[in-house]
Amino acid sequence: MRGSLIPLLGAAAMTGAACANAAPAVADQVNVTLIAEQTALVPGERAWVGLRLEHEPHWHTYWINPGDSGLPTKLTWHLPSEIKAGDIAWPAPQRFAVGGLSNFGYGGEIVLPVPIQVDADAKPGSNAKLALEARWLVCREECVPGKKRLTLTLPIATGARANAATRKAFASAHAAQPVASSWSGQAILDGDQVVVALSGTDLPSAEPFDAFVVQNQLVGYAPPRFARRDGGLTLTFDKSEYLTATPATLDLVLVDGKPPNTHARSVTVPFAAANPSVKP
Amino acid sequence: MKLGFLTALSMLFLMVATPVSAKVAVGERVPDFSLADSNGKTQTLSQYRGKVVVLEWTNPACPFVGKHYGSGNMQKQQVDATAAGVVWLTINSSATGKQGDIDAAGANAYIAKVGGRQTAYLLDPSGSAGHRYAARTTPHMYIIDAEGILRYMGGIDSIASTDKDDISKATQYVPQALAELKAGQPVSVPTSQPYGCSVKYGS
Repeated sequence: MRGSLIPLLGAAAMTGAACANAAPAVADQVNVTLIAEQTALVPGERAWVGLRLEHEPHWHTYWINPGDSGLPTKLTWHLPSEIKAGDIAWPAPQRFAVGGLSNFGYGGEIVLPVPIQVDADAKPGSNAKLALEARWLVCREECVPGKKRLTLTLPIATGARANAATRKAFASAHAAQPVASSWSGQAILDGDQVVVALSGTDLPSAEPFDAFVVQNQLVGYAPPRFARRDGGLTLTFDKSEYLTATPATLDLVLVDGKPPNTHARSVTVPFAAANPSVKP
Repeated sequence: MKLGFLTALSMLFLMVATPVSAKVAVGERVPDFSLADSNGKTQTLSQYRGKVVVLEWTNPACPFVGKHYGSGNMQKQQVDATAAGVVWLTINSSATGKQGDIDAAGANAYIAKVGGRQTAYLLDPSGSAGHRYAARTTPHMYIIDAEGILRYMGGIDSIASTDKDDISKATQYVPQALAELKAGQPVSVPTSQPYGCSVKYGS
């Protein structure tokens, strides 16, 4: 039985091409660049820049909650004083399951968009240099940490146009953003389970494709069980064995539709203390 | 086709052979296990009853493990713990042929290379001990007290990264918990988010 696995491993190793042995170059797993949605920064306005990750086949990087292992991609900005960067607007993740463990992240090509706020008194006609250090962990089954300093110099101008070279990448990045839903609901801790009950008018009509909790140390990372109940939607997760205290809220990203035509919605629900009377 | 069939068979075997059991939890008695160590000796957890035991899940090819061995942090913790009478068992649950899978000689060569100071280096290619403890990352740390009760499980420290420079800024949870146990105090951080590479299980 052992012998039967070896040819498979040989094949797996070869797909990694040059990276099978020595410390591989970063570009062998993921190509990382900094891009802007528009041609200029406009005083008083918000612009989008993004970290573009182009993964080699079978390699992935991580969402804000990486799941059972891994690390989220992290950005450290170095900006002129008139420019402020917000947090990554995380696109809805994909699930990667290997050896009974689940990870959340991205393969293929993805842009992690970051909002850039330009002060109203920034001077048109000057240039702004946006610099950052990006750190990521890229994994297939094995993992390689990466880091890169990236810079992008953009003019400050009274107007800006869409950047034709990045239009498609940002359109995909915006489409992959979870849309804030109008659903209401709550999460309860019920024994070894965390149960999220949602109600609202535009809940997915069929079973959602997947659901992801933003907070770590809260639920296990296997897919939840879905149930339609009284017109609402109930998601049951196993409680994380690392849960020590329930947070005030639970942030959920719910993905429905069949890939590639998925769409993602987000909801934040309060965490109620376990209350048997809530149960049917 | 034959290969696919055999692979499917081996996966089925592993699924059947892996017991479905309750997960370990802090404050509760831990399950026993027996594994061969890198010197061919069988190490059974319960033989160390009466002593505090640290379990360290490892994979020599994982960059997070490399962070803590390359910096000497792991070896220092092993030296300090074993000098205080603690038993330190390093466990490698990489499945046969997966990343980090090494045989007994390979394990001894690795220990010699990095200057490992654990009590024993245990090989768990079937993943049975790893699954029983729900070990999911390398490193992933557990502390069991002299009565066989789990007192800590989680990450090696408080800063999830592969950067050695973070070690001195992080809280090292294992030495902290060992010192508290020795002083008869409750463990102030009994769980933390484990971080690292995934354990390379076969199924």
